[in-house]
Amino acid sequence: MGPLDGVSVLDCSDPKGHFAGKLLAGLGAEVIKIEPPQGDVGRSYGPFLNDQPGPERSLYWWYYAAGKQSLALDLHSADGLEIFLQLAAEADVVLETYQPGRDRPFDPTALSDYYPELIVVSLTPFGQTGPWRDHAWSDAVGLALGGPMGSCGYDNIPGTPPIRPTEHHASHIAGYFAVSGICTALYERQQSGLGQHLDISMHECMGFTIESSAPWALYEQHPLIRQAGRHAGPQPTEPWQYPTADGRLINIFGMPRSEASWLALVAFIQERGMGERLSDFELLDGRKRQLGLQQPTVAVMLADIAEFIAAHDAEEIYAGAQAAGAAWSIIRTPDECLADEHWHARGFFVDVEHEERNLTVTVPGAPYILSETPWTHGRRAPLLGEHTAEILCGRLGLNEEELGALVAAGVAR
Amino acid sequence: MASVPGSRAPLDGVRVVDFTWIVAGPTCTRLLGDLGAEVIRVENEQTLDSIRFGRPHPKGFQPPDSGAMFNWLDRNKRSITVNARHPDGLDLIKRLIRVSDVVVENYSSRILESWGLSFEEQRAENPAIIYVSLSGFGHSGPQRDYSTWGPTAQALSGLTSMSGMLEAPEPAGWGYSYLDHMAGFTAAAAITAALKHRRDTGQGQWIDLSQVETGMVLTGPATLDFTVNGRRYRDTGHPPGNRSVWPQAAPHNTYPTAGDDNWIMITCTSDAEWEAFCEISDHPHWRTDRRFATLPARLRHQDELDEQIGSWTAGQDGRALMQRLQNADVPAGVVQNGVDLVINDPQMNAREWTVTRDHPIIGEHLTDGLQIRFSRTPAHRDRPGPRLGEANQYVFGELLGLSDERIAELQLNGAMG
Repeated sequence: MGPLDGVSVLDCSDPKGHFAGKLLAGLGAEVIKIEPPQGDVGRSYGPFLNDQPGPERSLYWWYYAAGKQSLALDLHSADGLEIFLQLAAEADVVLETYQPGRDRPFDPTALSDYYPELIVVSLTPFGQTGPWRDHAWSDAVGLALGGPMGSCGYDNIPGTPPIRPTEHHASHIAGYFAVSGICTALYERQQSGLGQHLDISMHECMGFTIESSAPWALYEQHPLIRQAGRHAGPQPTEPWQYPTADGRLINIFGMPRSEASWLALVAFIQERGMGERLSDFELLDGRKRQLGLQQPTVAVMLADIAEFIAAHDAEEIYAGAQAAGAAWSIIRTPDECLADEHWHARGFFVDVEHEERNLTVTVPGAPYILSETPWTHGRRAPLLGEHTAEILCGRLGLNEEELGALVAAGVAR
Repeated sequence: MASVPGSRAPLDGVRVVDFTWIVAGPTCTRLLGDLGAEVIRVENEQTLDSIRFGRPHPKGFQPPDSGAMFNWLDRNKRSITVNARHPDGLDLIKRLIRVSDVVVENYSSRILESWGLSFEEQRAENPAIIYVSLSGFGHSGPQRDYSTWGPTAQALSGLTSMSGMLEAPEPAGWGYSYLDHMAGFTAAAAITAALKHRRDTGQGQWIDLSQVETGMVLTGPATLDFTVNGRRYRDTGHPPGNRSVWPQAAPHNTYPTAGDDNWIMITCTSDAEWEAFCEISDHPHWRTDRRFATLPARLRHQDELDEQIGSWTAGQDGRALMQRLQNADVPAGVVQNGVDLVINDPQMNAREWTVTRDHPIIGEHLTDGLQIRFSRTPAHRDRPGPRLGEANQYVFGELLGLSDERIAELQLNGAMG
């Protein structure tokens, strides 16, 4: 049983809200994903099972729609909207991502007023107000305008642009705000008995996801310089990423702060016959090891460390440095993460059954381990309209003939 | 505590014992504070949060209370000073846990245990406590003693590798501790869910987060491409710079505009947007050019497509171009930095994303937005980052009911160090 057990969510979101809906399902809410009868656009996002596109073959959809139910319903038809309003009367939460002036089937404020106990969440690119509220948007445009991308890129390759991290991070960032907002509003409702409308601007969520760019901008109006594989800063800093003997990269940010940890790291390196200059007395002073200040002591230290890394394999360096108390890391690709026994010991990766394909799929699992109300992956992503009949007939009492008429009219599927 | 007279913030009445430092934990508790929780930072003068000393230092540096980063990240919180390794200090903390709802910490995994504040020990003080441990690797598993910073976790989760140019020798990664923020948001979501559950049932719990796991959660489609299709990330033309491998779209890239290092992101996610783009760009012949007429053709000829679009955008004013493209309903946006968000962004300005607030040392300064706008129980951003120990009297005297004599004694014996 999850912490949101018994909470019902009508999820009319497009990809902007897919991650939020997935999180709610993982916390135990019943998430009814309302998708258009032709299928949610996310079903067209690759990669695909065996590289063959198809609405039931999108691995994006498999991941982000897991644990949800599918109700295929055209909210832009009068009958579809009427059904939606009936379902909303019984729901706890409506999640929607329509921009205010772009073909929105219902007004979220009016919906909130009509059902005072309902929590209506509008997760939109720029919020409900302001000159950009209806601007055309994509996840990449969101990351460009919102600030995260401006700090990412290369300082060592002239003329290159800021780089957008891949996957759907605007939706990831905003998804957590939507979920925190929903849980908070549910908590508040337990006392007041009242729902409310939440206006969440993804643009504003990203504005709080830029770390030190924010205080430098708010206080000094000082932009930061983007630098390859490390933090953007007011000044250039030393590189953090170094190639290993086996063709991988080690990130050395997380140099030891304590003397004991530093000495352990030096011993680890020197036991392998390298890093002679790391015994320099000056480097015992933690300030002389501090990255980012372009200190001569650090230049020598990093030269020896780079040479050591280049002569050894990534896993050996990683294990030895961590054992010494240095928070070094291997730069892994997602497939490489699956080889690390630690995550399996914690039960992070979970297996999902796709029974109709006789297929078991391993996926990233819980973002958090809740001791009393465990996260659950839930069932595999729903087929298009898989739960339409169950919801319309089982809950709203439509008979087969009425459902057939809706399907024939293209309102439901 | 709420900023609007007569209204309540949604987490009004929730008290959080906040052992967090650096960025990940404080991100979580800033959000809780904005939502109305009473967040009490438990600090120790011997091991102060280095963010208190971080740059920039507006109007001269008077540590530990005047750092801009601290005041930005730790607004809406209170501060007490306690030495957890002193028996009387530990007793103060236990008393505080008895009258609180949530305990949050982002130390490495054995620190609270070593103080005598494991979950079981906390629960002995307060059976309904919600305890959140946010560490790099979580509190279980063979590598629970490994440690992370944001960049460490980003590298180990796969996220660093997923940002960059294919032809570059190294990934660009994230230019800041993205996972410090994301782990903090993840924790806030879990806490608010647990609070909701507790109000239903009276039951508290332990929430164990691993920062690396919060990152791996964000790699779903790439991970499934491996577990389902057996394809490794680097086999797929990844990382693709600013192009989009999935979903397929072209053009989807950054293009130079007038000035030094100015860029615009243009993404056509449908044929309709591509056609609108051709019209508005005065290059209607692109539509009929066989290399660009269909999405598969554009994907095959992305180099030429990007080159032609880049020649067209170069020299144009980025913001004017963005508006022109937006008028044609083409998804386009200039790449903004933090200063742009604060100064040059008409959308942020219209919604008052930044407001001026006061601080006893820094004076008037800007603080940034509330991300969740509740219609009935608004969040707030009125309380500046706390001066070290400024709430000692409030917490030890008012909340815990200690006499002035006892407080003076604890100050002398080192329990409040």
